[in-house]
Amino acid sequence: MDILVGWWDDYFWGSVVVAQVFVCSLILMIIFGLIGAAAKLSDNFIAQKLANGYTIVFRGTPEILVILLLYFGSAIALTSIAQIFNPDIKFLDVPPFWAGTIAIALIVGSYATETFRGAFLGVNPGSIEAARALGMSNLQTFIYVRVPEMWRLALPAFGNHMLSLVKDTALISIIGLNETLFVAKQAIGTTGEPFIMYIVVGLIYLGFSTIITLSVMGLERFGQRHLVSSQ
Amino acid sequence: MTSNAVIQMKNVGKSFGTFQALKGINLEVAKGERIVVCGPSGSGKSTMIRCINRLEKHDEGKIIIDGKELTDQVDDINAVRREVGMVFQSFNLFPHMTILKNLMLAQRLVRKTSKAEARDTAMQLLERVKIPEQADKYPIQLSGGQQQRVAIARTLCMKPKIILFDEPTSALDPEMINEVLEVMTDLARYGMTMICVTHEMGFARSVADRVIFMDAGEIVEEAEPKAFFSNPKNDRTKKFLSQILSH
Amino acid sequence: MSFDFTLIIDAVPKILLGIGLTFQLLVVSAVLGLVLAIGIMLMRISGKWYLSWPAQIYIYIFRGTPILVQIFIVYYGFPQLEFIRESFIWPLFRDPFGCAIVALTLNTGAYVSEILRGGVMGVDRGILEAGTALGLSVRQRFIHLTSPIAIRLALPAYGNDVISLLKSTALASTITLADMTGIARTIVAQTFAPYEIFISLAIIYMILTWILQKSLGRVERHLGRYMQK
Repeated sequence: MDILVGWWDDYFWGSVVVAQVFVCSLILMIIFGLIGAAAKLSDNFIAQKLANGYTIVFRGTPEILVILLLYFGSAIALTSIAQIFNPDIKFLDVPPFWAGTIAIALIVGSYATETFRGAFLGVNPGSIEAARALGMSNLQTFIYVRVPEMWRLALPAFGNHMLSLVKDTALISIIGLNETLFVAKQAIGTTGEPFIMYIVVGLIYLGFSTIITLSVMGLERFGQRHLVSSQ
Repeated sequence: MTSNAVIQMKNVGKSFGTFQALKGINLEVAKGERIVVCGPSGSGKSTMIRCINRLEKHDEGKIIIDGKELTDQVDDINAVRREVGMVFQSFNLFPHMTILKNLMLAQRLVRKTSKAEARDTAMQLLERVKIPEQADKYPIQLSGGQQQRVAIARTLCMKPKIILFDEPTSALDPEMINEVLEVMTDLARYGMTMICVTHEMGFARSVADRVIFMDAGEIVEEAEPKAFFSNPKNDRTKKFLSQILSH
Repeated sequence: MSFDFTLIIDAVPKILLGIGLTFQLLVVSAVLGLVLAIGIMLMRISGKWYLSWPAQIYIYIFRGTPILVQIFIVYYGFPQLEFIRESFIWPLFRDPFGCAIVALTLNTGAYVSEILRGGVMGVDRGILEAGTALGLSVRQRFIHLTSPIAIRLALPAYGNDVISLLKSTALASTITLADMTGIARTIVAQTFAPYEIFISLAIIYMILTWILQKSLGRVERHLGRYMQK
């Protein structure tokens, strides 16, 4: 363990980066997923086609490719826009944090689109009819009947999406994000100990996965308490 | 009585956790006897017949089938299961096999019959339950009543000495109940030993040699159908009969 | 910023030179992963703690860590270990292709074993009881009832995992392999035209995904004939 001395704080800050990417990409992923699901469920033909295109592209392309494309692609786009105002600019860098976060949110959001869509369609139509029959308004039905039921249906898959987000964070190290895998590479450069350095990275990610899994299990139990029969 | 009893249950008890499903069940069934078991839900009727072919293990008392006691000995259980057929409430046909294959599978694997012989037996029995034309269809393509008749034929393929029926008509639409009861009545007429858990009281009246009423894991009353329906002795039986016969 | 089509026409044939390697990575690790998954699944459902615990720990580790980290541990980490360098499997770990296969197999094996378990658990208990009542042994029930039904139930999720595996093969480019992604990254480094090259590559992957989906859909329909009224 002596070789790890001096690297703990780097790993710690790398973990903080992982957590930051996770939180930001989670928010974006939910937004992308909800927009995608709403578009697929809408009556608008163009919205449906666009949403279908979105899921086909991001579910059919390797994650690493999306990250590379977004990173290098946006850098070039930004540079050429900047050159209109100032021709002296040679190259504008895009922060890997945001390129990566948006990339993995787009990828996992394409899966979340299907999850949210399925959950919306999975709500028992009888419950909705019953709420209408009791005189509840559209909004009330949505808030008190549809959302709680959707939430319960979507949660298991949603938990997997969160795990994907946290694990995909490691891919962003390829474009230079200073998360734990990136830290390990630097540490290996000086210590020449790849095995132990990468194992630490694995353990850190395993820790993140465990926290997410346990939280989802807790939420699931909470969401299903009405399904526990009295027997 | 012991001499011709094919099923003997002596003081049989069974618990699921803290819940006692069966308490001190004593029952003897003679060869060729037809018994109907009724009672409210949760009374232990299904558990009792499931113990007879050891789909459930009893934890007290003795069960002896055709002279063999049911213990943990695997050979004995399979020997018993070959003699005891069972028909389920939800049919439980093998969904991935055609009707014919459903009927042939156990003959081939358990009885080791040749393919041709298994097929002949299967087709004969499909004739007997009056659906030979469905042989090459899959279960999902048949109506509930047809599926249950296939399930009965599948059991008959094994040439069992005893058949257990676990609420065979409860999952059926009303118009299909009769076609299944007809097949069961036909079996009874040919002398099959049968134990039927059912609420079809018409069937009980016309076919049963004995009706057994269970409640809370116990046999509360048993009698010939005439006496059972016209003159029930126990209050719980009276209450149950008034509930199910009133509608 | 402009889109240079001559670049694409130039690059696509070069990228396609890597399709063989992509395909080898996919097929070899899918087959080995499936074999591994069956073993792990059987251990997991064996009901014996000394079999099911190791299986669960294996699944937990490989599903809980990024596949890129797994690839790096195998490729950069394992050669550091004395007992691996001295063992007969050393040639496998000296070669980046072998390392990629090992990592992809172990990774997909963990996911697929859980998919298969889901299929086995999804088999209606009543059907198995009917088999029991007819006198079928545990083994006969597993071969003739559980397996065929479970395979059909697991197939859609398995198809998704094969597609994930195809996408994961792209990570082999991070350990010097010249699969399609590896070649594309080299071209981008030379031409600095990420749009043209990466978009062409993405389209190639999408076509492959589409072909995989269609063929798996066909298998699903064939095995699921008994589900159609």
